[in-house]
Amino acid sequence: MVDDEVRALTERALEIARSAGASYADARYLAEESESIDVENGRVEGVSRGSDAGIGVRVQVDGAWGFAGTALMDKKEIERVANLAVEIARSSRPLLRSPVVLADEQPVETFWETAVEEDPFEVSLDEKIDLLLKASAELQSVQGLTIAQTSMDFWRRHSFLATSEGARIEQIVTQSGGGIVALAIGDREVQQRSFPNSFRGHFACKGYEHIRSLGLADNAARIAEEAVALHQAPECPSGRTTIVLDPTQLCLQVHESVGHPLELDRVLGMEAAYAGTSFVKPGDRGSLRYGSDQITITCDSTLPGALGSYGYDDEGVPARREVLIENGIFKRFLSSRETAPVIGEPRSNGTMRADSWGVIPLIRMPNINLEPGTSSLDEMIGTTDDGIYMTTNISWSIDDKRTNFQFGTEIAWEIKNGKLGRMLRNPNYAGKTVEFWSSCDALGGKDEWKVYGTPNCGKGQPAQVARVAHGTSPGRFRDVQVGVRG
Amino acid sequence: MSLLGRDRFEDSARIALGDGVDAALVLAFHSAGGLTRFASSQIHQNTWREAISIQIMAVVDGNRVGVASGSSLEPDAVKATLQRAKAIAEVTPPNSDFPGLASPGIYPEATLWDDATAATTPAERADGVARALEEFPNSIEAAGYIETTANEVFIAGSTGLRAYSTSTQAGCSVMAIAENSSGFAESVERKLSNLDVPALAERAVRKAELGRDPKPVEPGAYTVILEPAATSTLLQFLAFLGFGGKALLEGRSFMTGKIGEKIMDDRVTIIDDPTAPDALGLPFDFEGTPSSRVVLIERGVAKDVVWDRATAKKAGRESTGHGLPPPNTMGPLPLNLRMEPGDRSLEQLVASTERGLLVTRFHYSNVVSEKETVLTGMTRDGTFAIEDGKIAHGVKNLRFTQNAVEALSNVEGVGDTTETSTELFFGGSRAPALKVRDFKFSSATTH
Repeated sequence: MVDDEVRALTERALEIARSAGASYADARYLAEESESIDVENGRVEGVSRGSDAGIGVRVQVDGAWGFAGTALMDKKEIERVANLAVEIARSSRPLLRSPVVLADEQPVETFWETAVEEDPFEVSLDEKIDLLLKASAELQSVQGLTIAQTSMDFWRRHSFLATSEGARIEQIVTQSGGGIVALAIGDREVQQRSFPNSFRGHFACKGYEHIRSLGLADNAARIAEEAVALHQAPECPSGRTTIVLDPTQLCLQVHESVGHPLELDRVLGMEAAYAGTSFVKPGDRGSLRYGSDQITITCDSTLPGALGSYGYDDEGVPARREVLIENGIFKRFLSSRETAPVIGEPRSNGTMRADSWGVIPLIRMPNINLEPGTSSLDEMIGTTDDGIYMTTNISWSIDDKRTNFQFGTEIAWEIKNGKLGRMLRNPNYAGKTVEFWSSCDALGGKDEWKVYGTPNCGKGQPAQVARVAHGTSPGRFRDVQVGVRG
Repeated sequence: MSLLGRDRFEDSARIALGDGVDAALVLAFHSAGGLTRFASSQIHQNTWREAISIQIMAVVDGNRVGVASGSSLEPDAVKATLQRAKAIAEVTPPNSDFPGLASPGIYPEATLWDDATAATTPAERADGVARALEEFPNSIEAAGYIETTANEVFIAGSTGLRAYSTSTQAGCSVMAIAENSSGFAESVERKLSNLDVPALAERAVRKAELGRDPKPVEPGAYTVILEPAATSTLLQFLAFLGFGGKALLEGRSFMTGKIGEKIMDDRVTIIDDPTAPDALGLPFDFEGTPSSRVVLIERGVAKDVVWDRATAKKAGRESTGHGLPPPNTMGPLPLNLRMEPGDRSLEQLVASTERGLLVTRFHYSNVVSEKETVLTGMTRDGTFAIEDGKIAHGVKNLRFTQNAVEALSNVEGVGDTTETSTELFFGGSRAPALKVRDFKFSSATTH
């Protein structure tokens, strides 16, 4: 449990902020432990453990925001920071057109933590390194492989939020992940295969039991063989065709072309100068056909074990499951207590998160999921005469309004007459968001539905990194541009 | 920000370089700064933070290495961080490639600090925003940021190495958002007083006005004039893909096997120079090696890459002072890239173009094929058609899919001034405008 000193400092911050004129204040303590292990070609490249702690004070004065955070956690410094937050808010006020109004939220006093079977910080480094060395050896056993990379990452975030409205929320979120990468470097190209996913692997709000379940060493030789074989594979053809996407690619498609464009701060222009805005408008709720009838997308921060799950967001709003797109029709945005009232919504749907004590919370995707359909990968391939099956993201890019995208995957196979054929190298596809989701005619069922964590979602200034997740099953999309060349 | 001062860091170093380890390296940071963001022509986010971090690399048995970090310089906290680093080192297998710690160095003299920038108040940043907004007509909305930061960096090694630097930085971007067009300008400097915020705003507004009612253009190969921010995108990705010693040694770099060969146009010279007067680098890298100027591409010829201690040891070279904080799996990177200016003004580059496109900047670019240096990304905030040597009208945004080395081989003109630009989720680089033929756009947008 968070100690009395931290509680006293946050209480003092609220007292100072209110006495200095804040109409609303919150003080958020965050302490994060981290551990990271990297092995390359059988050599331990880096083992590090980190700890970071501080308090951020966010205030409203006359409808304007101010924020100040510090790692120097003593009473005098906290008092200085709380006063500074109020001074900052006052400096904003003359240039404020629309004073901020917060959506109502019932304050609670509560404790929440991730369910963990095996504390990853209690598992010995020896054991973790042994596992990574074993996986590295399996990768290196494949002739022609150039670089074998294996890694693990662990985080534990211990937070305490105190608000002037009376919320006192303590949370402990534990996250674990690991992965392997096989690189085959040729004269002209580098071919890569990753397992279970790219971006350092597969991450979850679980303990070390998650690492044990990944099968890193068991899948290493297969991955390495694929990386080597890609150099001999024909290049992905150019043209328009049917594509079937594995969850290791479809999760990022959801992330970039559904998750981000439905963030209400982007929609309202708050990120315009940096990450961009959105093609979706508040008036589109209930009317915009975002995709085919197959497409139902949910925001679910309660999903057990998923990387983007929590008990309460950093404004004290409880986690929840909501439908964002239902049978292809857009229903609602990801919102905050500030943005929800702007479009007439009575409550935030609880997506505000900050990546440290020193920054303000922003609207961040928790777990944005493409709900399963009724087909299967076998059925989708079996009923496709001509197409391409792509898996594992390697490249991504999308415009500032989230319409025009281009994705690359590590590997693909051609589909001919209902069967998987030759391996294809350098696969990629491009499209427009609504057109693409409207071209979906089949999704795999519940038994093929997988949740992958994305540990590197960037947003905001100063840049913040969020750990989010996406559940999808495989999906089929018709008449898509593939094989874009430079 | 009040400086902690070198002595305070020395106190921590005395603990961190303590008993029980063969060698240790301490890397400590103290930073404070304010960031005022505006959107919809109002300040909507206004923040300040003061952070401390200390990272200790402990070495036992000569080459068993562990790294731990913390956020306090208090003696007990430093001791605990050292013990964590030592405990990691004791169970980590020996690393025969460990290059050891840097020896004490002589660092280039540099004045990187500005009292006024370090002491900037929230009201002064808000005043900067107000001056930007004065340049905006009612029909155009403003967005952007003004940031001021102050930093102390201290490095100590058990070899006697000591390095300490104080620096400030001020940055501003202004985006002008009209009904169906936008414009953008950005500047990053050591001193807030060097930022000409109204000029940035005026430039962004002018672009938005010039780009009104953009027309669609077909994707395809065009002669392009890349403004400095767009050139910087190409440089930043080349740095990440191949200007580092690790990528070169692994064979992943486009420079591998090409040193001494001509791979770009004669007019292209690319340098990493952390200590140039207009650069934003430090006199030393994060291993404590003095920073040095490295010529990467000279008149189109591949000359060298940057090195840190580990890659230099493997290659039989000396570190060039481009090491990142430990544990570093990426290898060295050039963080202060600059492309040498040419002899043509932006107006002359446009005037010399019969038919082409002018690109203000790119957005959310990424790698399609790393060794071939094929990149993709979108244009944004001011893309214009050039007809008969003049800017004719705004065009709707396009996606490029282009080999970056090939683009720098197809250079037909280089601008005579350079600007510092930042890349989404990257650092910054200083570049001129470029005229490039056969630049490939693979698709278009509706905005």
